[in-house]
Amino acid sequence: MAKLLQTLFDGVAVGSLYALIALGYTMVYGILQFINFAHSDIFMTGAWIAFVIAKAAGWAGGDTPIWASLVTLLGSMIFCGLLGFVIERLAYRPLRGAPRLNVLITAIGVSLFLENTGQLEVLFGTQPQRMPTLLSSEPLFRIGGVGLPLVDVVVVLVAVGLMLLLQWLVFSTRLGRAMRAVSFSIPVASLMGVNVDRVVSFTFVVGSALAAAAGFLYAMKYPGLNQPAHSTWILLGLKCFVAAVVGGIGNVRGAMLGGLLIGCVEMFGAAYLSTSLRDVYVFSILILVLLFKPTGLLGKATVEKV
Amino acid sequence: MSEPLLDVSGLSLAFGGLKAVTDFSLKLHKGELQALIGPNGAGKTTIFNLLTGVYRPQQGEVRLGGRLLNGLPTHKIAASGMARTFQNIRLFGDLTVLDNVRIACHLRARAGLFSALLRTPAHVAEEAAIREKAMALLEVFSLADRHAELSRNLPYGDQRRLEIARALGTEPKVLLLDEPAAGMNPQEKVALSELITLVRHRFGVTVLLIEHDMALVMKICERITVIDHGVTIASGSPLEVQGNPAVIEAYLGAPSAEGH
Amino acid sequence: MGYLRAVSPFLGAIVLAFVMQFGVAPMFGAYYQKLLIDIGINIVLAVSLNLVNGFAGQFSIGHAAFMAVGGYAAGAITYYGSFHVFGDALVHHGQGDVLFLAATLVGGCVAAVAGWVVGLPSLRLKGDYLAIVTLGFGEIVRVLLQLTDDVMFKRADIEAASVGTLALALGGALGFGGLPFYTSIVWTYFFAFTLLVIAVRLKTSGEGRAFLSVRENEIAASAMGIDTTRYKVRAFVLAAFFAGIAGSLFAHEIGTTLNPRELGFQKSFDIVIMVVLGGMGSISGAVLAAIVLTLLPEFLREAASYRMIIYALLLISMMILRPQGLFGVREVWELYRRPKVSRPQVRPPGSLP
Repeated sequence: MAKLLQTLFDGVAVGSLYALIALGYTMVYGILQFINFAHSDIFMTGAWIAFVIAKAAGWAGGDTPIWASLVTLLGSMIFCGLLGFVIERLAYRPLRGAPRLNVLITAIGVSLFLENTGQLEVLFGTQPQRMPTLLSSEPLFRIGGVGLPLVDVVVVLVAVGLMLLLQWLVFSTRLGRAMRAVSFSIPVASLMGVNVDRVVSFTFVVGSALAAAAGFLYAMKYPGLNQPAHSTWILLGLKCFVAAVVGGIGNVRGAMLGGLLIGCVEMFGAAYLSTSLRDVYVFSILILVLLFKPTGLLGKATVEKV
Repeated sequence: MSEPLLDVSGLSLAFGGLKAVTDFSLKLHKGELQALIGPNGAGKTTIFNLLTGVYRPQQGEVRLGGRLLNGLPTHKIAASGMARTFQNIRLFGDLTVLDNVRIACHLRARAGLFSALLRTPAHVAEEAAIREKAMALLEVFSLADRHAELSRNLPYGDQRRLEIARALGTEPKVLLLDEPAAGMNPQEKVALSELITLVRHRFGVTVLLIEHDMALVMKICERITVIDHGVTIASGSPLEVQGNPAVIEAYLGAPSAEGH
Repeated sequence: MGYLRAVSPFLGAIVLAFVMQFGVAPMFGAYYQKLLIDIGINIVLAVSLNLVNGFAGQFSIGHAAFMAVGGYAAGAITYYGSFHVFGDALVHHGQGDVLFLAATLVGGCVAAVAGWVVGLPSLRLKGDYLAIVTLGFGEIVRVLLQLTDDVMFKRADIEAASVGTLALALGGALGFGGLPFYTSIVWTYFFAFTLLVIAVRLKTSGEGRAFLSVRENEIAASAMGIDTTRYKVRAFVLAAFFAGIAGSLFAHEIGTTLNPRELGFQKSFDIVIMVVLGGMGSISGAVLAAIVLTLLPEFLREAASYRMIIYALLLISMMILRPQGLFGVREVWELYRRPKVSRPQVRPPGSLP
């Protein structure tokens, strides 16, 4: 029972991280129909910027005030939001309307650029680092014999909070309506007076900021940060992309659902079956879902007009 | 009267609650030229999609030369002798005009992958024959001197004619033309109607035509079927259909609507 | 006469492969000879992926997985087979080369079967979804290979072990070490030139045009009687076969280790980049891109830590400045023949199948 509960907590915590990152993939896909492979590197940059901020401020140990975490989180989100803006402006915008494969390759190029620039000694360097502890991993309270550390609670609360914020942004604001219009059809939206460039920029800023938040939370939960070009980052990104696809790509709620599902599948598989096969579970779920419901769990089927 | 070549009976399809086609029947005899007309959104193209297997009929039967085609995939229906053109042109844009027709001719080719890779003499002879056949088709459509151009660089009218040439490359018994005159000017339309008549006699194909231009339809077709909202509202010779009140209503609105 | 014409290009491939080994290679040092082999392997990879991505227009980004499948299958056969035949896993020219050839072909076939198994259900998916499934398949292959047992190296153990045990003793995460180095310039270019003959013959035949029609417009292709699923699977299987052969060449090359990490998605991306850079569907473009992209990192070696940054920037600017790749869909010999061919227009989003 305790193991079950523990696994469930882990699954939800990791799943909410996945969901945060999956949102970035799904929003960009929904609007521009391309897989932003560089998104995992924004996530990586978010984690590393959090490390740089905490290190520069000299925060360490369990007795740092809670606002230190908040400053780190916001700093990372702002930086990555700007980064997302610049990337879209310089690399993706000139390719608007180009064949999809070209945009995809550009995204791979951006990804390589971010990883290898991050590895420069003046930036993050080529060595793994340890994130200072800002949030205590002591159990905050216990449920059914399982201790719930502050980190996990913060991870889930921040993730859920940001998702609610996004939900409100997309479905209850003018800008959100513009986003949905652009994702329906770029030419039609621009004929209706929507400033498409601004909406796309905004989407990248929001998606990147969410990825940065996920990066910060990830660094809190798993303090051993791998070097920027390490394959764990891309692999994590891929899993989140899988989450977005499983939920139904382009669908904001689908990304949240997919993230939680993938997180739980991975954790339960690792706990009850075999740890070394955890990536296999994730990709098998992907293939199964796509074969039986090709548009994902919450995705809508589109019919090509003949 | 003899067996019809294409015998469609009771064809129905609904998308969710929307009835796209209801109880559609049609008999097409060998060598005939019939038209399918109706207002925009009446379900004409949907009927073509049902006939060619793009959609599966929920009810009804499609028989070609007595053979049941229901549920067959599109490429098998093409192989059994039904070819079509598309309302929104679907050429192989990045391929040459000649290649567009050659691909259609491939349907009747015998040589397989390995003889292609080995360039067996049989394969070489067949390639030559296909090229000759395709060029002859292009000649009929006055496209022979543009055979090396990429098809997406052709002017609009030529693209429409290339679609017909390509469909003929599959050696069809029945040719379905989906608005072949759309977007053409009056002179081009006259030329096209002559071309359709020529094609019909020269290749011995039976034609079912969707067209908006009533003058064109009246001039060349033997029989016309009118549908509206997926339902057949009239069927007969051009003269019969022209005077049918239901047809006039469908096109011009109900006469009782005068005081709206 | 007709049959001579049928086989002469394949004979030419053998002759050219020997010319590469004894005519071209001696002009370079050992380092560049290895580079020559790398180029050849990349040509096989790029041209074979081009059959799927360029010809049939299906978007696969898991090509390295088929390379891994073929490489491990062939590697296991030469390594454990050598113990059974020769008593050790050293290079034995003559008989050993025959073993290597057989192993390579078997590796290709195993990869082709894998291609069929993956392709048949997943080719129903369109565009990006197919890409994701191929990517997922690649990751599954990588993880499974990492879980295999250590390589056996004692003759007695190997002779006592069952085939099943040997098939699982592939070195795990450390990689499959100790493979004999059979990959030579002759072998590499024999396969590269053979594939080129096949690709060119395919492109200029009815069968090949059927592939192209699937890329251009799937609905129109099936209306013209093309069984689109069958052609997609064919392209997939053929490409997987040659990826498997490239895997075997890679596995038996001096200075490389066959390990799961080397053949992950990054390797798949490298191959996709070659195809797109060369121009989707252009065989000569893929060859040229394979050469350029193999040499480019070597030239940038001086710049050390800036190397990959420059590579990334070149990639991005290439995509922005010349989106259709080096040659577009055309071949290098077609570039000046048809003056009337205009530049491919940028397609509206979503128009690509």
